[in-house]
Amino acid sequence: MEWLAAITTGTLAGLGLWMLLDRNLKRVVLGIAVLGNAINLGVFTAGRFIGERAAFVDATNNAATANPLPQALVLTAIVIGFSLFIFALALLKRTRELHGDKTTDSVSSITEQPAPDWHAGEHEADCTGVEARR
Amino acid sequence: MLYLLSVIALMALLAPLLTRLLGQRAAWLLMLAPLCAFIWFITQMHLVAEGGTVMQSVEWIPALGINLSLRLDGLSLLFALLISGIGTLIVLYAGSYLHGHPHLGRFYAYLLIFMLSMLGLVLADDLVAMFVFWELTSVASFLLISFQHEKGVSRRAALQSLLITGGGGLALLAGLILLGGATGYWQFSQLSAEQIEGHVLLPAIMLLVILGCFTKSAQIPFHLWLPNAMNAPTPVSAYLHSATMVKAGIYLLARLNPVLGGSIGWGTLLITFGAATAVLGAFLAFRQTDLKRLLAYTTVTVLGQLTMLIGTNTSYALQAFVLYLVAHSLYKGALFMAVGAVDHATGTRELSRLGGLIRFMPLTGAAVALAAFSNAGLPPFFGFIAKEFKYTGLMEMGTIGWAVTLVMILINALLFAAAGLVFVRTFLGKQGDYPLTPHEVSMPMWLGPMLLALGGFMLGAWNAWPETWLVNTAVQAIARGPVDVHLYLWGGITPALLASLLTVSLGVFFYLWRDRVRHALDRANAVWNISGDLIWDRLLKRIFYFAGLLAARFQHGSLRQHLVLLALAVGGLLAVGLLPALPQLLQGSYSPISLLGLVGCLLAVAGGVAAAFLPGRLTLLAALGACGLGLALVFIAVNAPDVAMTQLMVETLSLIFLALVFRKIPTMPPSGARRPWKRYLHAGVAILFGLSVTGALLLVVSQPLPGHIAQWYMANSLPGGHGSNVVNVILVDFRAFDTLGEILVVALSALAATNLLGSGQRIGGEGRGEDAFTSPLLRQGLRPLAWLMLGASLLLLWRGHNLPGGGFIGGLVAACGLILLALTYGHGQIRRVLPVGPAQLIGIGLGCSVLAGVLGLLSNQAFLTGLWVFPGGLPLGTPLLFDVGVFLTVFGSAVHMIDKLTGVRH
Repeated sequence: MEWLAAITTGTLAGLGLWMLLDRNLKRVVLGIAVLGNAINLGVFTAGRFIGERAAFVDATNNAATANPLPQALVLTAIVIGFSLFIFALALLKRTRELHGDKTTDSVSSITEQPAPDWHAGEHEADCTGVEARR
Repeated sequence: MLYLLSVIALMALLAPLLTRLLGQRAAWLLMLAPLCAFIWFITQMHLVAEGGTVMQSVEWIPALGINLSLRLDGLSLLFALLISGIGTLIVLYAGSYLHGHPHLGRFYAYLLIFMLSMLGLVLADDLVAMFVFWELTSVASFLLISFQHEKGVSRRAALQSLLITGGGGLALLAGLILLGGATGYWQFSQLSAEQIEGHVLLPAIMLLVILGCFTKSAQIPFHLWLPNAMNAPTPVSAYLHSATMVKAGIYLLARLNPVLGGSIGWGTLLITFGAATAVLGAFLAFRQTDLKRLLAYTTVTVLGQLTMLIGTNTSYALQAFVLYLVAHSLYKGALFMAVGAVDHATGTRELSRLGGLIRFMPLTGAAVALAAFSNAGLPPFFGFIAKEFKYTGLMEMGTIGWAVTLVMILINALLFAAAGLVFVRTFLGKQGDYPLTPHEVSMPMWLGPMLLALGGFMLGAWNAWPETWLVNTAVQAIARGPVDVHLYLWGGITPALLASLLTVSLGVFFYLWRDRVRHALDRANAVWNISGDLIWDRLLKRIFYFAGLLAARFQHGSLRQHLVLLALAVGGLLAVGLLPALPQLLQGSYSPISLLGLVGCLLAVAGGVAAAFLPGRLTLLAALGACGLGLALVFIAVNAPDVAMTQLMVETLSLIFLALVFRKIPTMPPSGARRPWKRYLHAGVAILFGLSVTGALLLVVSQPLPGHIAQWYMANSLPGGHGSNVVNVILVDFRAFDTLGEILVVALSALAATNLLGSGQRIGGEGRGEDAFTSPLLRQGLRPLAWLMLGASLLLLWRGHNLPGGGFIGGLVAACGLILLALTYGHGQIRRVLPVGPAQLIGIGLGCSVLAGVLGLLSNQAFLTGLWVFPGGLPLGTPLLFDVGVFLTVFGSAVHMIDKLTGVRH
């Protein structure tokens, strides 16, 4: 079972990355969800699929239980992944409202400003040129 | 000494406040700190004169063997007296010079920070501590030069000085580390020449240290920052850029002279660069018409001469070094302050507009006269003794010395003429054409120059006193062997005296023929342009251009390229690491495959593939849902009911949100980049990444699980946490602090997303249900279902501690129920069902969780310790309260977002 889960994790991770590399922002957002799924399954798998029953304390049943720690970790990770996904979705919605459809690479160019020093330096150079000639 | 430094630091912190309260009068209070230091250093003079030292040390970074150790010997004492003494006068002076300036308090803070770091620099015995203070002086100098930051020239000068001295500082750091590493000692007092003699790193150490010192002390070709630094207010020029900071490099050269001074290279470098700096400075000084720039260039000259004197290493030269250092600090500090006063009183510093000022400013004039005589090297001033010793010291060197002496005579003649310009041209002769009507400046402004100038006179006239108390020990500290110190004004008819006479006659000649000399200098315009600032600007522009070129390769702003690089690095590194472990992967013992698990995996992969490649919105929704559902099946198959339920709920909610957002977005094109090569690259990277992840995970699970954490949780869950559902007990009890952080993240991202989702919308009114839910049958059927879910969520919360469920699952189920209501009947339902708004719900939830933790604190136990009561045998505890908090936070977050998303467009 572990190797199956590992292969599933790898496949989902590769698919998620492929989606993150898409030029369409909508698929990038979906990619976050797929990659999140891959990571959750990966963390879970790393805890091994031991035991024959769920992690409950039961005095009448002596069979080995599953590992509870990765379950607890993944449970919260799923919820956090959900809120992250919704946040990404909200960003997508807002970007569309403000700037229309954008490709992944053109998003940063909307807001990016050139470094202020670049032009300041040229301006100051002119001042000193005058002074040096004087 | 540590106390003194702390007092000055405290004063620096208080300075802005004091200045705001007391205005200009704060100067008298702030002055006390350096004055105390000065008096304390005076009291230590007899101890140091007898050859003693004062040591003090506190551990700073004991792990690295770095201590804040201070050591007061002859050389440090000399510098400390100059720094604290002149500092006292400068603080007083600045109060009047900058009176009424809105940022006077800030100025004082910078000034005192500088004083602190400069004192630290000369007192520090530890190499690293010295370097830290060294850099601090650079920073303080930067702040002080850019004090009038509204002027572009000031900003440029400040940046230039910081880049040059800071760059030199890096070289110095490397040099000091090499020095400490080569000798094994990190204290100046423990270093000696034998430790480093013949060491392979010696040339490197020497070059790096010299580089650092040359930048700080404005030696050619780094001299250009110093004249530009004159854009700072005059107190700064007088204090930092003539008397103290620029001498830090000289100080370090002198300090390391006993250690590094043995080699030929040291002497050659110092003499060559020192002499070149001196010559250049003298010629440039004589060209200036601005009094302040003139003085700045003479400072460059003097710094060059001092460097040269260290390089010669003869006994007279080292004495001359100490004498000249003191003499220059005194007269140059006085001249700068006086020029500031002249500027203040007349409104100009241009030589052509000044003259005859002695009538208006007799006290300042007297101070300038005394200082200028010392500057010119006339007897019986201290400057005269310094000059005599300088010539004697140079002549001691033999043929080269004589050649250098001739150059020095020329330079000193130029300095003599410059001194004449400062005093005779400014204060004597016919009245100038001033922009303001001149007046004598207030007491704090003439007191400083007067005291310093008088000091220069008295030290010269009664030279036995400094000989014993100051010069002797300082010279011994920098010399490589014992030196016999004897100061005198009249040593008979010596070559040095003749040289002095020559200097004075040449100087008078230069002064009288100054216009022609200047004219001659102006002819060589091309030369001045080369040595000027233009090269600096071109260099800086080149560097920026080059940096831009380099950075553009990496900081291209393309998210996809960043991601490709990142994934390639991760995947590549993993793959390289995994290759040798490949055979191991096949030998691991794995658990058997269950049918449910197989179906789940296939479903997840199929969903993922569909989401990655297919176009169309509905298809994508279905694909994503399938992917999540498959995962939930896997979780069930491997005995994780809690996780499976969470996954199921989250998947449901995600799809609802996705559908609500996507329905307003046009349909999606097929995936993949437009250009084929890019598509192949992305596919390759994704495959590599996926394979590496699979491989890494397989390698992990092929090993047996280390440790016994799982067993510990299983054993302690019931006795310690009173719960059978170990996963839930871990979440709300054992690792509750983690969970607290996690629900905080959920709450924050929900609040952030809400702002984005709800922008441009107005919440209020009833709203209308979604058009898809208009069927009456559906509407009637959904209401009881929604209420059933809300009820079930409470049950899930309650039983979570012993059976599958808990706050997370309960919160998500409740959110699903309420969202169903809101979609069917409009978002007004949310307000109708909930007694408070969803945002408040988040707050209450977080509050409950924190309260559960604080209750543990209140009973004198650790934060989040579970407390239990057993009414009627039923275990109730703070973990339950915590779980309620989790429930409310998750519920509130989801509802808050849907509330905004379904709001009415404004």
